[in-house]
Amino acid sequence: MTAPNDQHNETKKDVTFRVFRFNPQVDSKSYFDDYTIPVERGVTVLRSLNYIKEHIDASVSFRAFCQAGICGSCGMRVNGLSKLACTTQVWDVLAKSREKDIIKVEPLRNLPFIKDLIVDMDPLVDKMKQYSNWIDSTMPEASMGKKEFLISEEEFLRYDKATDCILCASCVSECSILRANKEYVSPAVLLKSYRMNVDSRDSIHEKRLAELVKDHGVWDCTHCYRCQETCVKSIPIMDAIHGIREDAIESRGVKDTSGSKHAEAFMSDIEKKGKLVEATLPIRTNGVLWTLQNLLPMAVKMIMKRRTPPPPPLVKSAKGIKIFRGMFREMTEHVKQDHKSHKK
Amino acid sequence: MKPFDVVIVGGGGAGLYAAMEAMKTNPSLNIAVLSKVYPNRSHTSAAQGGANAALANKAKNDTVEMHIFDTIKGGDYLADQDAVEVLCSEAPKIIRELENIGTPWSRMEDNTIAQRPFGGATLPRCCYCSDKTGHTILQTLYEQCLKKGVIFFNEYFALNLSVNGSRSRGLIAMNMKSGKIEAFPARTVIFATGGYAKMYWNRSSNAAGNTGDGQAIAFRAGIPLKDMEFVQFHPTGLRKSGLLITEGARGEGGYLVNKDGERFMARYAKEKMELGPRDLVSRSIETEILEGRGFDSPAGTYIHLDLTHLGAALIKSRLPQIREMSMQFEGVDPIEEPIPIRPTAHYSMGGIDTDNFGRTVMDGIYAAGECGCVSVHGANRLGGNSLLDILVFGRIAGHTAAQEAGKFNPEPIPEAELKEQFDAVRGGMHSSGNYERYGALREELGQTLARNVGIYRESSLLQKGVQEISELKERFKKVRVFDTSDVFNTNLMQVLELKNMLDLAETVAAGAYAREESRGSHTRVDFPVRDDVKWHKHTLATMVNGRVVLGEKPVTMGRYELQERTY
Repeated sequence: MTAPNDQHNETKKDVTFRVFRFNPQVDSKSYFDDYTIPVERGVTVLRSLNYIKEHIDASVSFRAFCQAGICGSCGMRVNGLSKLACTTQVWDVLAKSREKDIIKVEPLRNLPFIKDLIVDMDPLVDKMKQYSNWIDSTMPEASMGKKEFLISEEEFLRYDKATDCILCASCVSECSILRANKEYVSPAVLLKSYRMNVDSRDSIHEKRLAELVKDHGVWDCTHCYRCQETCVKSIPIMDAIHGIREDAIESRGVKDTSGSKHAEAFMSDIEKKGKLVEATLPIRTNGVLWTLQNLLPMAVKMIMKRRTPPPPPLVKSAKGIKIFRGMFREMTEHVKQDHKSHKK
Repeated sequence: MKPFDVVIVGGGGAGLYAAMEAMKTNPSLNIAVLSKVYPNRSHTSAAQGGANAALANKAKNDTVEMHIFDTIKGGDYLADQDAVEVLCSEAPKIIRELENIGTPWSRMEDNTIAQRPFGGATLPRCCYCSDKTGHTILQTLYEQCLKKGVIFFNEYFALNLSVNGSRSRGLIAMNMKSGKIEAFPARTVIFATGGYAKMYWNRSSNAAGNTGDGQAIAFRAGIPLKDMEFVQFHPTGLRKSGLLITEGARGEGGYLVNKDGERFMARYAKEKMELGPRDLVSRSIETEILEGRGFDSPAGTYIHLDLTHLGAALIKSRLPQIREMSMQFEGVDPIEEPIPIRPTAHYSMGGIDTDNFGRTVMDGIYAAGECGCVSVHGANRLGGNSLLDILVFGRIAGHTAAQEAGKFNPEPIPEAELKEQFDAVRGGMHSSGNYERYGALREELGQTLARNVGIYRESSLLQKGVQEISELKERFKKVRVFDTSDVFNTNLMQVLELKNMLDLAETVAAGAYAREESRGSHTRVDFPVRDDVKWHKHTLATMVNGRVVLGEKPVTMGRYELQERTY
């Protein structure tokens, strides 16, 4: 056993669950109810909620099904973090709780509320449809069932982790882009799209990719890594997002989307000067016409306030640019090699 | 509402395969899947091990014939041999078909689908995707259904069949999001709602929703249920949740220890010890608990599965999932402490009586998967045959319903029936005159089943079980639904699920009481041997005027004569 410590040795205590409440039939806005119950060590958040529902308030509503961390029904925010209630130990949450012996339980974010801790999953299903999150087999339906595709262990490993996804929507709830734009594809759907794209049995890779590079697609991700940090199955979701982007640049060229052009412009500036040439960035990303139509008013305002970025000739290379370029080249080389060995 | 050609109740492996196959059979049909959860939440996702098929990828000498024999013997000769033949000969085709549409099977070195050994199988023929086989199959089927544009009614709770004489007009269900009771007029209905082993409540490895809704609806509509007394127990379920700790933990050298610190398996299986057959180990643990050598706790009496002597390195490398589950669900790290376990109800062999095409006795009503009973598992299911069952017979039921839908003319469901259902569901159950708490009734149902209709069964206990279940049914009439809201009333849903479990529990207990022999999972202390003269037959349970009436049905034999079952 580890060194004795008061909290660890305690086997039972009173814990207050501060539960988000909202019933659209009667409530004009949401509120919290406090339920204080005795909790034994080893009890999960879901078991505590079940206890509250059975013994204190039957109207507290949440989804739960397998209770074993595989069906993905009981996603909710526990002290601000999206998790599965069924695999979350009360003791673990308390160890990190800011308020002593209080656990706040709220619905997942970025999906419409239905009641209390229940949110509407339909928007996620709709996006799975929009981005063709299925294998459209290269094999005609009439010949199915007769023989197997031969698939290497290496190909299997490319999508093995991604197929762990249980669509619990914890990543959806934590995604910073979705908070700003509900139309954004969402991390779970990007992950599934990636899984389909790297499967050699699939025949609609191009169609799926064409949808992914449109507005609200793969280029909108800002690399905050919240999806990956929160994933209850520890899936490297960002690898999938990067995978789609590399694929998009490689197989579609860099010229057809603002996102990829933006990335290219960044890379070129950093390589040349070690910093951004901001004045021409919008033009290089979205073209002259778009920039004039969309950014002219802002440019005028910036000129009035003397906040314009320096014109390109005045952007001096950053200090130590020579050493930096060396490092930059080395890194690019590494990435290329990783990419190659990954593909083998 | 425009009548449907096919309405499928349940969105697990059987339901989704049925939907996919029905669309394939006739794309012009109006087909809908109705599920009380989002289909990808269904319990198919919890199946870890795999699905059996004689692909002969691993063991080159494997044959469909050997798979057939293993299945018949495993089921203690109660399975219908023609049905088993369908199951096993369709198996290679269906596993390949799943592969062709994207299921991520693990692979062998020659890039074919990987296979591994499983209990009761002569050769390694269990196809798998790591330890998430069911999950990946369910995802694949759901993806394909979205691709095909199957219409889903998610989070609808099925209530009743609307019956007119010998046939049904369709289904009545509650929309959970609105609380409204809606009619689904349909030419055909397929029940694929999964098993009923959750009636053992916290003595069950099943999901909270495996409450036998489809079986209960069919039963109330007068359709017979078959072999309900056969419920499979797994030896090592976690104490608090009933969740499964796989046989692998004992395979790696884990001990079963009682409260006196004794490795008690020495008294039951001197040579095999902890690795005796599943039913024997379950019975041994149960004996220790019954005779007072278990550990007491508020969550029930248990014994220890001790892995501490195996060392941290082995546990971390070979049993990482077991360790994670023990920590998540019991707060116990098996490196430092033994895991509290006890046998757990795992699978229901019984279900809605169907023929080999999924048809029930009622025109236009079909059943498949754990919800149905063809019967391919007989008195005891083999590992790796449950996923196979839902795929093969889900597909067959979907195909049959799509082909036969045209034979049945649609009829509207009378408004009065919706009103009647509304009154039954919402009428009295909120009233303050109702004082019974559903949680208490559900808990007591689980306890009486575990105690009296559990692993060991005996005349007086079973009689007591039947009696207590009927008392619980009486008390249920005064159950109160405290949540009065219409939107997503989970309290109401739980109460309705309990009603279904109570109806089915009666058939399990009655069937077990009547069957005076021991066969497969059904162990009678007072009748310890298999009695092929009197009991080589299926049990049928039918509801007549609100009462369970037992009947029988012969077992279809074939190539294999009755033999003693030894391993």
